Order: sequence, then structure tokens, then C-alpha cells
Amino acid sequence: MLSYLPYCTHVKLIEETVVSSQELIGRKPLQVLEKIRENLERLNEKMEIMIELQKHGKKDIQQSLTDAPLDVMTLLSMPDHLRKTAMAACRLGRATADEIAEQTHRARAVESAYLNQLVIMGHLKKERKGRKAYFFVERESPR
Amino acid sequence: MRRLGKIIAVHSYKGGTGKTLLSVNLAATFAKHGKKVCLFDLDFRAPSLATLLKVGKADHWLNDYLNGTCEIDKVLVDLSDRVHNKGKLLVGFANPATEAIRGMSAKDRKWEMRALGRLLALKNSILNDKSFDYIIFDTSPGLQYSSINAIVSADLVLVATTFDKSDVDGTRRMLRELYDLFEKKTEIVLNKIPEASSKTRKDEVQAKIRDVYKVPLLGLIPCFCDILRAEGDIIFAEERPDHPLTKIVDQMANEIDHM
Repeated sequence: MLSYLPYCTHVKLIEETVVSSQELIGRKPLQVLEKIRENLERLNEKMEIMIELQKHGKKDIQQSLTDAPLDVMTLLSMPDHLRKTAMAACRLGRATADEIAEQTHRARAVESAYLNQLVIMGHLKKERKGRKAYFFVERESPR
Repeated sequence: MRRLGKIIAVHSYKGGTGKTLLSVNLAATFAKHGKKVCLFDLDFRAPSLATLLKVGKADHWLNDYLNGTCEIDKVLVDLSDRVHNKGKLLVGFANPATEAIRGMSAKDRKWEMRALGRLLALKNSILNDKSFDYIIFDTSPGLQYSSINAIVSADLVLVATTFDKSDVDGTRRMLRELYDLFEKKTEIVLNKIPEASSKTRKDEVQAKIRDVYKVPLLGLIPCFCDILRAEGDIIFAEERPDHPLTKIVDQMANEIDHM
């Protein structure tokens, strides 16, 4: 669940990143670098959420997070850059930012930002499995 | 390596432009060429394939698949014996009962979103798993939910249109405000063209289409009185192999095959 205390969350996450990076010293350099990259990615996601919160305000986002089906009329009314990402997500069903980027021929970082924006808007769901983040359209009602 | 099959949506701005005529004859032509084809009636507001293909009652309708109450295998009716070749022609019918039509027009956005997911899933279940070459969606005209779902799921959209002024205007708008937004590969099929047999007239029409729509013209169907006389009861590709319409559709099928 998202936290709506963005600045505190942000600082806490940076502290966690530093602590967990310190814990890793002594391990293999590659593992350390991977852990740092993973933490930076999470940090980036949090920052995107903060930007959206600043842009739209907390209430709008809380409302959209609960119910925003990704139907064709919604796709039609989206800005072009988000529609491209959303269409690729629809086609693939469940995909990582890398897989979406392969379809849209745009950079992975760009797709990651758009996908997180679609999650914030309530059109996509996100699930982490290990180091990978999967984005998907929740079509069936949750049981 | 086998080429992955294609989903083709046959759509139009207005009704009566020949979508069903084109869908059925294209499906039959592909099957005659030895291809494996699935034809679906996605015109839930005015289903017509069941009548046209003389299938009185189906155990399961396409409505049931989209409602999530059955799998696609239960919906498909094998009509391969209607085409005399080694190809396969399976058809999924829309339920023509008034209650079913009413039910389909009252679906909400969440249902439409799930329906889109189920149409997209056909790519895996039919084209990948069953190695079919083509899925053809015969859609309802205009900006209906079911039609836009079909367009989003399709690899190629064939737009059936006439030279009727309101149809030209609407089609032009649809090309810009619908197909372009979804970045769909689109081809025009111009139907009911008077005096379209001469070469000069054909060239003139082709130039006009390029100028008005700015998309490729896949085929040009002249105004045939015997199509009207057939009262929607004849599959020309099968029953009239020498008819000019059969030859035109044959040419379109070959072009699509090479895309």
C-alpha cells in the first residue's frame, strides 16, 4: 500500500538504502552493485509517486487507485505516450518494463516511469517477484 | 518457421457497407486456399452470421465466451465441409435472441475491459496453440464498444466503405481519431462503386481514395445487382467461383497473405 507521507517515506527509504548498502560491504562487489541498483529503482518509483501526488493531489489519486478499469474508451482518452504503454501492457497481459520497452521501442527507464504512472492512475497493478516488477491489467475481480 | 497468424477486424463507419459480405467471403476464400480460419460475429447488436450460414441454434455463443461462462472451443462450429478444400473454417456466432442483444448493450466498462482481455487471449488460444492462420472479426458499424475491442485486438483493420458522402466523412474521421490513435495497420475496401469495370474509372477511384483517406486501397468492389438479388443467401467465394466478386476477394486474400 502506498504511503501518503511522501517526504518521511522518502527520507526513510534513503536511510534504509544506505544501511542495507553498508551491510553488504564485505560481500561480492557485483552483489553489492545489484543491491544498490535495486534500491535505486525502488527509490525512483517512490519519487514518481511523489511527483504524481504533487501534480494531482492526494484525493484524486486515492480515488483512482480504487477503481479505474482500462477499457478501450479509457485508452482512447489517454495522452499518446501513455496509450502506447497501456496498449502494450494489454497485449502482453503481464510484463516487466523491459518487455514493454521491447514492444514500444522506447527506453526501459521511460517505460518504467509511464507504467508507474498508470499504476498510480489505477489502470494497472504492480507486483514484485524478487528483483523484478511485473505490471498487469487486473481483469478478473479480486476474490 | 511457421508465420504467426493474423487477426483481421472488418469494420465500417456506417451500416450496409458490406462488412459481413466481405468477412464471410474472405474467410471462405482463405479456407479454399487451404488456410485455417476462424470467423467471429462481433456484431452483437444485429447478429447475422447464424442466418447467413444457416446455423439455426448453437450450444454456446460468442456472448458466453465473453461473459466468461465457457471456453472458446465450445463456441466454435466447424463449417469446413462448406468449403471444398483442405482448409478449415470454424465460426463463432453471436446470439441473435432479443434478450441476448439487450443484455449485450447493457454491459458496463469493467465487463468491456474483461471482454477485451478475452479477445486478446484468442491470439494465444487459436493462432498460437491451434496454429490457425487467420481470425476474422465481423464487427458492428461505428464506435461501438465491441467494435473498438475488436480493432484494438486486431493486427489489420479492413474498413468497408462506399462513396456515400456521410460515409466518406465519417470514415475519414474514424481513420484519424480511432485507427491512428491505436496505431493500426488499416486498408480500405471500397464497395458498391458504379461503373467500376473500366480501367480509367478504377484509376480515377484509386486516386480519389488515396487523396481522401491517405491509406492503401485493398480492393474495389463494383455495384453488382446479383449480390442484391442473392438476398444475403449466397457465399460467392464458394457457390459462384466464376463471379467477379469471387475473383476480387481472391485477390484481396492473396494480398493479405503477402503482408
